[in-house]
Amino acid sequence: MNATYDVVIIGGGISGMMAAITLVGCGKKVAVVSKGDPVCCFSTGCVDVLADGENPLKGIGSLPEHHPYHLVGDKGIAEALGLFRGIMSAEGIPYVGDVHANRRVLTSLGRSKVTCLVPETMDFSDIDPHESLHILSFHKMKDFYPQYITSRYAKAAYSTFDAGVTTTVGIAERFEDSDFLDTFTTWMRGLAIQEERIAVPAVLGRGSSGAVYHRIGGECGRTVFEIPTLPPSMPGLRLFGGLKNAFLRRKGDLYWGRGIYSVEKLGNQIEAVTLTGPGRSTRVEGKAFILATGSFVSGGLQASRDAVMETVFNLPSYLPPGTRDAWFQDDFFAVGHEIEKAGIRVDASFRPLGTEIENLYVCGSILAFSEVMKYRCGHGMAIATGVAAAKACMGAYSGI
Amino acid sequence: MAFDFQHCIRCTVCVANCPVFKVDPAFPGPKQSGPDAERFRSDDEPSIDRWIRLCSQCKRCEVACPYGVNPAEIILREQTRYGERHFRPFAQRLFAHTYWVGIVSSLFAPVVNLLTPRTFVKKVLSLFGLSIAIPFPLYYFHTMDRSWRWKGSRNSRKKAVFFYGCFINYNRPDIGRGVRDLLASLGVRVVIPRQVCCGLPALGNGDLETARKFARKNARILAGYIDKGFDVIYTCTSCGLSLTRDYPGILDIADGKKVAENSYNLHEYILKLMDEEYIRPVFDPLRRRVAYHIPCHLRALGIGYPAARLFEKIPGLEVHILEDNCCGLAGSYGFKKRNEHTSTTLGADAARAIKAVDPDILVTDCGACKMQLGYFSGISACDPSEILKESLKVTDPGI
Repeated sequence: MNATYDVVIIGGGISGMMAAITLVGCGKKVAVVSKGDPVCCFSTGCVDVLADGENPLKGIGSLPEHHPYHLVGDKGIAEALGLFRGIMSAEGIPYVGDVHANRRVLTSLGRSKVTCLVPETMDFSDIDPHESLHILSFHKMKDFYPQYITSRYAKAAYSTFDAGVTTTVGIAERFEDSDFLDTFTTWMRGLAIQEERIAVPAVLGRGSSGAVYHRIGGECGRTVFEIPTLPPSMPGLRLFGGLKNAFLRRKGDLYWGRGIYSVEKLGNQIEAVTLTGPGRSTRVEGKAFILATGSFVSGGLQASRDAVMETVFNLPSYLPPGTRDAWFQDDFFAVGHEIEKAGIRVDASFRPLGTEIENLYVCGSILAFSEVMKYRCGHGMAIATGVAAAKACMGAYSGI
Repeated sequence: MAFDFQHCIRCTVCVANCPVFKVDPAFPGPKQSGPDAERFRSDDEPSIDRWIRLCSQCKRCEVACPYGVNPAEIILREQTRYGERHFRPFAQRLFAHTYWVGIVSSLFAPVVNLLTPRTFVKKVLSLFGLSIAIPFPLYYFHTMDRSWRWKGSRNSRKKAVFFYGCFINYNRPDIGRGVRDLLASLGVRVVIPRQVCCGLPALGNGDLETARKFARKNARILAGYIDKGFDVIYTCTSCGLSLTRDYPGILDIADGKKVAENSYNLHEYILKLMDEEYIRPVFDPLRRRVAYHIPCHLRALGIGYPAARLFEKIPGLEVHILEDNCCGLAGSYGFKKRNEHTSTTLGADAARAIKAVDPDILVTDCGACKMQLGYFSGISACDPSEILKESLKVTDPGI
């Protein structure tokens, strides 16, 4: 089959989806090609912008000169995050927080993580050690141990509810059932909780988490918040679901689950990508392409002994100088590693350097020098560069 | 192929996408029953995992997996291996042969339709392990194989054979005849050759040999037409998945690759004709609000949502795409008593999502989705081709 689009986006993660939504919002015909669900599904759902300092946007000035954030600028970042919040609110998954202020979120290990925008269900997650906290956990729930938290917080206690199922996904599904929610709230009222805040592992429903969250908060008359869990992470899944549905709602086309691409070029232009599968291949034609395949874990980059390869277009990728021995660190837990700098270098309009291809833009964690782990800027950078790459693409192809 | 499981990084995204895992604690999920357990399986050892049957083969795990592992296929192989060695209950044997059930039921359609809604009959069927949660589908005597077998001019440049599938043949032949007329109205010479069940029901019920028998027969017929310049058109997304993926894959049929490469989803085919400028259809406005439930197997086909792209061309049609829910019926899966809870819970879930859109009509490609969601939402479900027929003013078929 032949399908012709204004812009074809390769990669359905946060960055690709944000680029896609920006473009369909401007009336472009857009396709997203995704070989599977993105890594944001495993995330806490929180949007980290830059973890150092009180104000993430201020901190951007002190990042190394090649960091992709500099291509967007703090105004652009704030705008992109605003756009993201608007999209998620409309999908019923509102985000709270201030782009000029970092905040802390309690994790399932009992430690805090610094982030910026959080789902509303984690609004009250910034808890002080002297505050009292009651954790509502679930009987035999997998990978969630309230004791991690109670051991760190003097005034924390927990109770367990038997949901009949023990997995994150299973419990979240049960919360979609109003009878189950009734039983749960009745049990919760019976506990006569005295503590100031109530925390629940992030299993309060799939799509209707907002309604479940407000119901529980209303019933107990206390501030409630969700604690992000290990994967499968419901807030991460909700984040992806929200972006994907926002894209579909705007009449974007989504091509799922085919991993092997072949690329057709004519001169300096990419004409089409072909998604091959077991049967006949599907050819998706575009006037411009955006590459948002992510870094190593998502398969956008692949490392061999002495090189780093970009897996779709075979773009020249940046590899930090020196041998692997030079990258070696004695401290396993040291923050930042040279390999994090690997990726695709781009010009001011997000076009890859060192290639003759003209109609290609790159965004998200595949960008060189992003050092997502070191600066803890993953989702923020994905959102900012996704929107910026889409705008750059639109600027160059205003005719499309 | 056989070593796909080694690419699994245990990220659990398949688990998060598994409808059965969400509601049935007895099923350990696609990760554990697929790549995890596969490490301990050997062809020399008997298959012992009873729960392997609980997978409904919706393929959502495979669509979700970013690392190219095919959990559903690993499970499917094990399901057939389990089926070879273990007693297969009556319901499983029955549903492996929906084709023969269809032949007999359509032959005595009025009697069958009179009997199946009766409480007494339902109770008896229930004793045999069948679920009676949703009504059994109605059968028609005037099936596709008793309908007019060709349409459109012999001189058309585009020639197609229509692979209708069992559901359309026995339960909704009106849709099938509509597709035939729709294609003919678009200048395509349509031929409806003799054909049998695609084999998917047998495969899904652990009967590899029967599935192969069906597939071999179809592939021989379809390949003959392909050699004469015909394309193969399917509307049932599960039949489509079977033709394009299982024929050259797990069933390993001689002409499988040829069939796979020349089979098109109906809407994909219409888009192709439009792209090639073979046709320039004029769509009449339809003022409706449509909930379009995307069947799991349409997602798995990897062709995008071609019917939705055609709907965009119909003025006034407001389409809401719903792709996050499996209807739960999954062919014959939900008609087994063991799976009734899973199927009805998922069905009610999917229906809630549909009703939230408050649609005038519910549209979905798959027969099982139509039955299940029509029942749970109370909105009768129609086929995308019916919408196109109405917009393109294709007259109702006489025969």
